[in-house]
This record gives sequence, structure tokens and C-alpha cells, in this order.
Amino acid sequence: MSVPDTTVARRSSPGLDLLGSELSVLFSRRRTWAMLAAVALIPILLAVAVRLTASELDPGEGPPFLDRVTQNGLFVSFTATVVAIPLFLPLTIGVVAGDTIAGEAGLGTLRYLLVSPAGRLRLLLVKFAGAAAFCLAATLTLLVVGSLIGALLFPVGPVTLLSGETIGVAESVWRSLLVAAYVTVSLLGLCAIGLFISTLTSVPVGAMAATVLLSVVSQILGALPQLEWLHPWLFTQHWLGFAGLLSQPADLSEFGTNALMQLGYIAVFFALAYGRFATKDVLS
Amino acid sequence: MSRKSLKWLPALAVPALVAAGVVAIPLSAGAAVDLPDKTAKEVLLLVSDSTEDTFSGTVEKTAELGLPDIDAAGMAQSMGGPSSGLSAEDSSELVSAALELFSGTHDANVYVSGEKNVRVQVKDQLAERIAVSNGNDAWFYDSESNVATHVAIPADTSVHEKGDTHTGEMLTPPQLADRLLTELEPTTTITVGTDARVAGRTVYELVLTPKVSGTLAESVSIAVDSETGLPLQVTVSAAGQDEPALRIGFTSIDLSDPAADLFTYTPGDGVTVEEQPFPSMPPNGEHNPGTESGVTTLGTGWETIVALPAGSAPDGFADNPLLDQLTTAVDGGRLLSTSLLNVLLTDDGRVFAGSVTVDRLQAAANTE
Repeated sequence: MSVPDTTVARRSSPGLDLLGSELSVLFSRRRTWAMLAAVALIPILLAVAVRLTASELDPGEGPPFLDRVTQNGLFVSFTATVVAIPLFLPLTIGVVAGDTIAGEAGLGTLRYLLVSPAGRLRLLLVKFAGAAAFCLAATLTLLVVGSLIGALLFPVGPVTLLSGETIGVAESVWRSLLVAAYVTVSLLGLCAIGLFISTLTSVPVGAMAATVLLSVVSQILGALPQLEWLHPWLFTQHWLGFAGLLSQPADLSEFGTNALMQLGYIAVFFALAYGRFATKDVLS
Repeated sequence: MSRKSLKWLPALAVPALVAAGVVAIPLSAGAAVDLPDKTAKEVLLLVSDSTEDTFSGTVEKTAELGLPDIDAAGMAQSMGGPSSGLSAEDSSELVSAALELFSGTHDANVYVSGEKNVRVQVKDQLAERIAVSNGNDAWFYDSESNVATHVAIPADTSVHEKGDTHTGEMLTPPQLADRLLTELEPTTTITVGTDARVAGRTVYELVLTPKVSGTLAESVSIAVDSETGLPLQVTVSAAGQDEPALRIGFTSIDLSDPAADLFTYTPGDGVTVEEQPFPSMPPNGEHNPGTESGVTTLGTGWETIVALPAGSAPDGFADNPLLDQLTTAVDGGRLLSTSLLNVLLTDDGRVFAGSVTVDRLQAAANTE
């Protein structure tokens, strides 16, 4: 029997098949697109508002970088990212991550997923990868839409960094991608937390709300100076820490710290999610 | 063990592993270091012999001075109303800038190449302040105000300074170490503390402890790199406080030559550039700001008190509400008290400051 290589490869990795179907389900949902559209609205509203107001902003007024938008449209995506990080991005991530297992359980489709020989660990991995893919999609939406609307409404040129020095457009695209990567990595810890909460319940709304709530609570704790000893351990602590990427020379040290911390959160909460999910009696 | 409880194993093991990693990594960095013993003089020699003037790294400053926790920036902003005069606004800016410097934690990236090339970048959240100097030009930039200040350094300055300090008193490093030791001897005990690790490098610790009792400072310790003699960390401890009152030190350091283009600064488009003249120094390098402004010093060594005559503080400084919040009323004026420094503002407008107890400041104010 002559079997083409491709089918062999495909058969050897049912996980990839599962991932493919998970991604196609996720990104064919109207809800996913609605959330991405809402994310895209942030830079659009921001740019239009700045364009329509005649008065010039003083430096340091409003959200970071807002006063620079009129000089350089590429700053729209940075400002939009800063504005979206505290609540909007966690909200959308919470919806996607909280829905992962609880949503299937709520719809009664979880047991069909487990009938296939994929196994529960693989299913969890695929669900986490799907949520991570959404994080990337959301941050890239901010970046791409922000850059496009910025280029449309404002002049585009060399970008003045936080250190007051200038980099070319090509370099600034690279820096923007770094910022998008930073924000995506920042949100992965929250994804893992959402995945864990999602294994606890079959009511997806509950899991979504709990995930979003945790991200808000963590940020409130991070704002209290009395709890300074706790701050290095909060998963939200480095969320806005990408200033180093917009400095000359690019400072990647906080990227590393942040990635390590998110990795810790992913490891802990993924292990907890596995413990819960692997021992759970799936009835629905 | 049942199959089911086995599946909970990772949920127990992974958090335990992560926790162990979190605990073990700082521990291994702080593992006991044993360097060949050196006397205080030998460590001082190590510093003065050091030829290392090219490095880059991250410097962290933490201050725990026991200042009241208040929102300085918010206060300064709320006072910027139409009723407040310019001077009050200026002074509140002054106070909040000083507060910011003496509280909390700040990180800065530092690049040094040779005697002239310096670049310091102080990192804040989504903002940055930067200072670059290459011997010909000095630039200061603040990303929040988006203003770059340029100072052209006259060509002969560095040569001039060198001539003064180096040829005037040509001390060999051992002589310098000797002189430092004899000068400090009457007031200070200098010992070598336990060897440690700073920024991943092994260091000798030089501990300076005051012999007098009237000072707030408990000790000053300087961590000296055992290989290069570069001072890597300075820690000032205050009496009766476990955490260091002030600590400035490298958290990471790289001894390779930083890229040369870091020391030339070109402000980008949209940056407001302001020119400032080079501050003129008095000739002969005898820079003494005290003589013209009326600043006097009382006492010596650790117990030095700096006194400012009435009227030397900016107008409206004393009425500043921020100051009211920071200070407490004491006999004869108001006191700004920190764990390392006491400042007494007398009712007649004079200022006394020193790392000494309150009654010493009051005594100085009464006798003056």
C-alpha cells in the first residue's frame, strides 16, 4: 500500500488537526470578529478624535504618546495599545479563555471532543494555543489598524523614540512588532488563568467574568503602594513595561523578566487546569 | 495511589518547582563568596588603581527614607491653578522633584566609555529621561515634556580641570589611599565587611562606620569589584532601620566597550531644542557655592550641619501646602524628618539641615 507522505504526517499528529479545527472554529465565530472589530475601533476613534480637534495637546497631556500623534501617525498604534491594555484586551482575552472548556461543556460538545483519541492533555494544549492565537490577533489588530489609520490621517516619517532620538520607518516597524510581541506575551499568563477557571465550571459566562475580574483585581493590587512586596509577583505588573522597546538602544531586559514571569504563571495554571480537567467527570 | 490522584500530581509538582526556582535563583546568586582577605587599605588601593572606565549596565536606586507617602505629582498639578503664583508652582515642582529622587525605586541604563563619554537613561513607566555627554556636547532630554536641552562644552574645559586636579597635587594611588585613611581616621572606623556578590560579580565590602553618636547614619558600605576595583554599589544605612535608607548599585554590568554612536545625540523631529550656556566655574577649580549665597557649615564630619540664612529659599516655598504635609511643627519652626536627614525650617526663614538629631539642629538654630 503506497501512502503519500502527507497523510502519514497528518496521521502522526492528530494534535495539529485538532488545533486547525479549533482555530477555524474560533476565527469563524461572529463573536471573535465582533471583539476584533471592537479592538480595531480603539485606534480609529483615537485618531479621528485627535484629527478633528484643532487644539494642540501639550506634551505629557492625555494618554502616553497622544501629543505625538499629530506629528507622526505611527504613534496611533502605540497610544491605542496603551489605552487598550488595562481593561479592553483583558476583557476580550477573558471571553476567549473563559470559554475554552466551559463553553464546550455548556454546549454539550465536550464529550464529543473527548471521544476522539486526542486525549485531554492535548485538548487542553490546543485550547490554550487557540486563546494565545487570539491574543496575537488582537494585538496585531491594534498595531495594523492603528498604523493604517495613522498613515491615512497624519504624516508618517521617522519615529522619535522615548530617548528623543530618531529611527527610520523600517526600524520602527520592527519596534512595533516587538511591542506587539511583548503585549501578546504579557497576556499569556491571563490566558492560562482563564483556561484553569474554565475547567472549574460549565457556565462559560462565570469563567469569563472571573478571569476579567482577576485581571482587574491584580491591577488594583499593583496600584497600592502599601503592597509593594507583592508587586513583583503580579501577572499584570509588567503589562505597560514596554518603554524599553521604544528606547535607544532597545532595552530587552524587561521583555525577558516579563516572559519569565508569564511562563511561571502558564506552568502553574496549566498544571492546575490539567489536574482538574484530567480528573473531571465529563457528563455534558 | 489511584489513577485519579496521580493526575493531580503535576498540579502539585509544577507550582512547587516554580516556587523552588523563584527561591533558589536569588539564593544561588547570593551564595557565599570567599575572596582572599584584604585590609581596608588594600581595598582602597584596588579602587584607586582601577583603570576600568569603560562599561555599560543597569543601575538601580532604592530609597527608604521614611518620607510620608503622598502623591507629589498630583499635588503639584492641583496647585497649578490660576490663583497660585509662578514661584509657588516652581517651588512645588522643586519639592516634588526632590521627593521623587529620594523615594521609591528607579532604574537607569548607564553607558560609560573613557573619561568623557557618558550616557544615562532613567526609565519610568512609558517615559524616559536621558543625559548624554561626549566631552563636546551635553544633552538632556525628558520624554514627558519633549524638550531637549543642549549645552556646548568649551573645548578647553576638560584639559583645564585635569591640569588643576592632577598636576596640582599629584598623588600616587597608595598616597591617596593613605591620605583618605588618615583623614577619615578620627571620625570613622573603616573595616572590610563580608565578601558578597553584586550584579553577578564578586565584591569586597568596605564599611565606614561613624565613631560619633550624634548622627543618623549608621554606616556606609561600598561594594568594590574584586577584579577591576570598580565600586559597584553604595549602601547607606540609617540608625534604627533594617532596610538600607539609600542604595545605589549595578544590577547588571558589562565591561565591554559600548557602541560609539551612543554618545552622539541627535534630537528627533518635533523635539523642542533649548540651548543653555555652559555654567561658568570659578577659576582654580575652587568651586565653593557657599561664599556668595551665605551658606555656612557647622561642625565636622558626620555631624556637619548646613545652615542657610533667611530668605534663601524661593518665594512662597514656606507657604507651600505640600511642605505643610511633609513637615511637622517643632519648637522654633517646622521639621522635615527622614531616616537619614533632618531639615529644620525656622520660623524666621532660616534652614538647618544635617544627618543629625533634631535637638542638635535646634541647638544650632538657637546659638547662631
